[in-house]
Amino acid sequence: MTLTSPPILLSLIVFLPAVGALVIGLLPKGRDELFKQVALAFTLVVAALTLYLALPGQPGAGADSARFLLGTAQMQHAFSIPWIESFNIYYALGIDGISLPLILLTSFLSVLAMGASWTIDKHVKAYCILFLLLETGMLGVFMALDFFLFYVFWEVMLLPMYFLIGVWGGPRREYAAIKFFLFTMAGSVLMLVALLALYFNSDLNQLGPAQLAASHLHETVVERYDPSGTAEPQHTFNLLALAHQGQSENSPFSQLLVGGKSIQWWAFLLLLIGFLVKVPAVPVHTWLPDAHVEAPTPISMILAGVLLKMGGYGIIRICYPVCPDAAYELAWLVCTLGVISMVYGAFAAMAQTDFKRLVAYSSVSHMGYVVLGLGVWSISGSTGMTGDYWKMGMNGAMFQMIAHGISSAGMFFLVGVIYERVHHRNLDDFGGLFGRMPVYTGVSMGIFFAALGLPGLCGFIGEILVVLSVWNYSQVLAVISASVMILTAGYILWTLQRVYLGPEYKGPHGDEIRPITQRELAIAAPLLAFAIILGVYPKAVFNYMAPSVNKLVDDLGQARYGNDYSGGIEKQTGSVERIEPAENELALREISPHREEAGQP
Amino acid sequence: MELATLLPLLLLLAWLLPLASFTLIVFAGPRLGRAGHKAGYVATGAIGISLFLSLLALACWLWHHPLTPSHHAETHAAASDDPADPTHERSEHEQSAPHTGSTASPLTGDWYTLAEFGSLRLTIGYYIDALTLGMFVMVSLIATCIHVYSFGYMHEELEDVTDPLASPSSGKPLVRAGRFHRFFQYMSLFCFSMLGLVVAGNVAMVFVFWELVGICSYLLIGFYIERKSASTAANKAFIVNRVGDFGMIVGLMILFGALGTFSFGDVAQSDGTVRKGIFSQVRPAENEHQLIVPDGLIRMAAASQMNSIYASVPSNEEAEELIGRRVAELRKVGTGYWLLVLAGLGIFCGCVGKSAQFPLHVWLPDAMEGPTPVSALIHAATMVAAGVYLVGRFYPVFAPEVLLTIACVGCITLFVAATIAITATDIKRVLAYSTVSQLGYMMFSLGLGGWAAGLFHLFTHAFFKALLFLCSGSVIHACHTNEMPEMGGLRKKMPWTAWTMLVGCLAISGAGIPAMLGMKGFGLSGYYSKDSILAQAFSVASQSQTYGWLFYVAAGGAAITAFYMFRLWFMTFAGSPRNQHVYDHAHESPASMYVPLVILAFFAVVAGWKLPSLNLPDLLEQARPLGTAEGISFAGEIAHPELPAEHRSHEETLHRTVSWIAFGTALTGFAIAVLFYLLRIFNPETVRKWLAPLHAFLIHKWFFDELYEYAFVKPTLLLSQVAAAFDRLVIDRLADGSARFCVTVARLDDVIDRYVVDWAANGIGRLTYRIGLWLRQVQTGQLRQYVVMIAVSTVALFLLIVVCRNLMLFQ
Repeated sequence: MTLTSPPILLSLIVFLPAVGALVIGLLPKGRDELFKQVALAFTLVVAALTLYLALPGQPGAGADSARFLLGTAQMQHAFSIPWIESFNIYYALGIDGISLPLILLTSFLSVLAMGASWTIDKHVKAYCILFLLLETGMLGVFMALDFFLFYVFWEVMLLPMYFLIGVWGGPRREYAAIKFFLFTMAGSVLMLVALLALYFNSDLNQLGPAQLAASHLHETVVERYDPSGTAEPQHTFNLLALAHQGQSENSPFSQLLVGGKSIQWWAFLLLLIGFLVKVPAVPVHTWLPDAHVEAPTPISMILAGVLLKMGGYGIIRICYPVCPDAAYELAWLVCTLGVISMVYGAFAAMAQTDFKRLVAYSSVSHMGYVVLGLGVWSISGSTGMTGDYWKMGMNGAMFQMIAHGISSAGMFFLVGVIYERVHHRNLDDFGGLFGRMPVYTGVSMGIFFAALGLPGLCGFIGEILVVLSVWNYSQVLAVISASVMILTAGYILWTLQRVYLGPEYKGPHGDEIRPITQRELAIAAPLLAFAIILGVYPKAVFNYMAPSVNKLVDDLGQARYGNDYSGGIEKQTGSVERIEPAENELALREISPHREEAGQP
Repeated sequence: MELATLLPLLLLLAWLLPLASFTLIVFAGPRLGRAGHKAGYVATGAIGISLFLSLLALACWLWHHPLTPSHHAETHAAASDDPADPTHERSEHEQSAPHTGSTASPLTGDWYTLAEFGSLRLTIGYYIDALTLGMFVMVSLIATCIHVYSFGYMHEELEDVTDPLASPSSGKPLVRAGRFHRFFQYMSLFCFSMLGLVVAGNVAMVFVFWELVGICSYLLIGFYIERKSASTAANKAFIVNRVGDFGMIVGLMILFGALGTFSFGDVAQSDGTVRKGIFSQVRPAENEHQLIVPDGLIRMAAASQMNSIYASVPSNEEAEELIGRRVAELRKVGTGYWLLVLAGLGIFCGCVGKSAQFPLHVWLPDAMEGPTPVSALIHAATMVAAGVYLVGRFYPVFAPEVLLTIACVGCITLFVAATIAITATDIKRVLAYSTVSQLGYMMFSLGLGGWAAGLFHLFTHAFFKALLFLCSGSVIHACHTNEMPEMGGLRKKMPWTAWTMLVGCLAISGAGIPAMLGMKGFGLSGYYSKDSILAQAFSVASQSQTYGWLFYVAAGGAAITAFYMFRLWFMTFAGSPRNQHVYDHAHESPASMYVPLVILAFFAVVAGWKLPSLNLPDLLEQARPLGTAEGISFAGEIAHPELPAEHRSHEETLHRTVSWIAFGTALTGFAIAVLFYLLRIFNPETVRKWLAPLHAFLIHKWFFDELYEYAFVKPTLLLSQVAAAFDRLVIDRLADGSARFCVTVARLDDVIDRYVVDWAANGIGRLTYRIGLWLRQVQTGQLRQYVVMIAVSTVALFLLIVVCRNLMLFQ
């Protein structure tokens, strides 16, 4: 095993920040500058490691290469190590095209947010420790393949965030921190119920050998595998195995539970609510504006840039693959909530007078696109049973997550820059910054235009792909979602006018306004650069993301429609994803006789 | 090199050069000489080379596809003598098809793929035909002229600028640093975006550049960022455009959702296959390029039927076969036609926004807050014409109902805007309303089937309107005011400006001598283009009385055009000075400003002339979309309105009548202007008093701004307040309330603990203690007492056991 072998490298990425926290904890008191430098160094190393992970690798480079195989839809570098074996809980990590871009986003934003933390001067040591623990939690969520492990990371991330808002925040920080904690906690509880329901109904023995192999289980589990139908059920928390179970015919999750609905229906609903709190979608969004307004600038960046993405990630990683039938039944709910968030968030943003609150509500609106794009189940006879439009929507939604991570983090940072100078965020008391801070204004315009969905910048790609995909699902929702672009233009341009344009600055502390510093520019400029690069060359993300997302759509189509599902009109030849359905079928065929036997008594 | 590889390459270069210039100025702008004045050379050089390359491309194209003279009146007069014989006409067109249809087929292809999912693709590509090339040359030519002009007009941005219109609270005029390079930076970005829009090979790419020209327009309208009015106008322009774009997105959704492609033409793929574009799906060659509802739209409209077919048969192949048959049946009953209409209307919505058509015309007059070269380039010649260009480009997809909607919208626009222009006193606003009105003419013409006429007017209008704006800029530069009542008699001070502007006025009024006495008609460019529009309207009117009113409104509009244009010229240049101070300070502009005027004036005169090997009408005729030459009809079996073929309007008799009507109306307008403003026989004041309500109505621009303020802006803001309040008052109260409920429950719990549970526990404790205390008294230390106790206890115990046993025995 070398440093680059997957288990080592992935674990290193996840736990290096925690090690950093430990190191800072051991350093002597009072050396604030050093703490920040150490923390920054650790985030930088993590970012470098994730970057290495993302380098395109060669197929067949051996088990020691943790580089990403482009064009591969399956989970890569997955491994499983016993953790709490008596409850079938494993330390299982892995990456695929869905998680890798988010991992990169996390490590990249962590560096920038740490850089933006230089202005923190209260309890610096504790701040750096909590910040690094938070990063471990976030990276862990995106890599976990074991549902229980996922849950643990999810909770691990919660506490540092609570303290970072509650201690370093603004005047109403305690209210905001508790609100954040309670909302998220409520979501977590629902998730826990669903997690247990799925666990106790799962049975690895029902899987086919191919599915078993594709689930990357630990070898002792594989040894216990007994497809004869007489063995004790073997429960699992493995997300891939759960997904295979959920997608199989006669899925154990399809048994009726209460209210005439199946286990997976209830699990989907509970998980969905849990994740939507995090996204956040209307009506469980009100923790977000408060948390953002009170959180210090770097924490707002992380909150908007990464934490919100976990909700979307949870939906695409757990809700959809594990509960496909429920996802089909409840697609209307997902899409409607998405559209409501888009519209409601945009309207609410327009009414705000606090700059940060406005950006926070714009996040609600923009994350609505994500929810909508994930949900547009548009496989139908009118399009020849192809999943192409849904693929477009789902890819668009995932792209929107990345794009929003960049633009919203940028917006929060830019608000922080001006807040540090004039110590207020009242939109009506700005004006004339263009003349006073020209570079700052230029960068701001770029980032805000990205949020506006201007072509050539990252926001456009995600939004247009999602919106275009909706018509084949629902025409009413499509029209409403398209109308949001008017509202978005309204509140963003109005904001720009009030803050940057005009003859003079109107608020207090006018003499403190000075041009953007080198350090601030070093944080804002990369964000703008990525906004442009992703807007012009979106394939930088899609090359990683699309195979995995497309496979998910194909799997869901297969699970729901079987042979009726035709994938795409024109299948691309030669790619790995083409082989996958055949493998699935093979596995199904192998498993079906045994299933019939099991069904007889 | 092959034409198919050379042309895209030339245009690609010509398109990307302004982008390179923009990028350079962004990074190096302030360092390019004093106040970045070298940025002007960079930008002008870039667009100049673009012009050269596009001219080269046009030359190559014409070399390969020389223009064939369009069908002249005589042949068609003969053809129309015998309207009962449709085969005659059909055969004639089949003969001419090799000249126009097949040899000059457009070049299509993709340069770059943004994203692809299965068969769906978002690409950056090109669609090159004579129309593309013509537009490309026109845009780069006018842009080059305006760049040169801007050197003179924007020169004050080289120093610190005192802005009298910005109003800081201190009351002193604002002094700021000059922004010369920033102006050229935006101009370069605009040129890039506009050229991208022109060359676009698919409608999604059109949308991309549509938004980009929008943002350039936003930046340039708001160029004087210190002025509140400027930034408000910029916001208004962008947001009103987005309202139109909303419709466009809906159109895009329908088309993409049903057809799975955005491409105009068929695009050859790298693997040798050809992907069908929108045009060939809507007007397939098998159907002689006549409009049909494509399969995708029918399937979309009947989605539930398609689903049940899939559910009813075991295999997909069978299902597709059944669907194929069902689709053919559904096509006969018109299923999906409404979607085609809706898609067309959606795309047209975008054009309504961009080309400032009623009811979204309100942003364009406000956009005059930008510097005048911007108004000339963006808000007169190019960007606002993009809507018309897209209607022309997307023409094959429009159903007859959509076209009639376009015609009506154009007609309303041309009239409304013309009436407002009568009373406006701001020289640029008169021109702005005139632009709106002329764009209305173009839409009107396209909507009535006058494809070539409408686009022809687009080109001629671009030249003379750019000219008029630049002249007005020259006047403003000299007088430092926009108000015409402050001007007068300026022709003596600024002859170049005055006489070139007169050329512009003549051109826009359509000055010319109609055909008479065996001589051909002759005139300035506007004469030809406006005549062909009116001729088409007349041709429609003569075919169907239902649409007769359209012609009269358009002809009346022509009179109003002549009136307000000459009102403008007379008020500005003729007579005696109204404000001596302004007059004394006025001066002719520098050569960098009047040379472009002369060049544009030249084109304003000749752009409509029919030179044998190079002229606009034949160029456009070459680019005519397949299947539209014989008029617009729908190949379904349901009744639809039909529009007559455009060549009918070239018939000698019809054309001559129309020429004279147009001549008469223009002359009327001119004469009224002369009576009021040159000879001053009538006093405009008196008329104003007579018609006070009407004047108020017009001076308030038909109250559109007020209407929109109360109908849309206020309700939107109210709704936003409601949303924010809902969060605060309902959702947050619920959350806080449930939290408070938990706290209350906790308190209650606490009380129960303290007063019930604790009381009980303490009570028991206390009781035990008391008992203990009491029992302590038993422990006396006297042996005798203990013995008695033991004895008594033993007896008692025995008794108890006996009693218990007996009780058990009873059971």
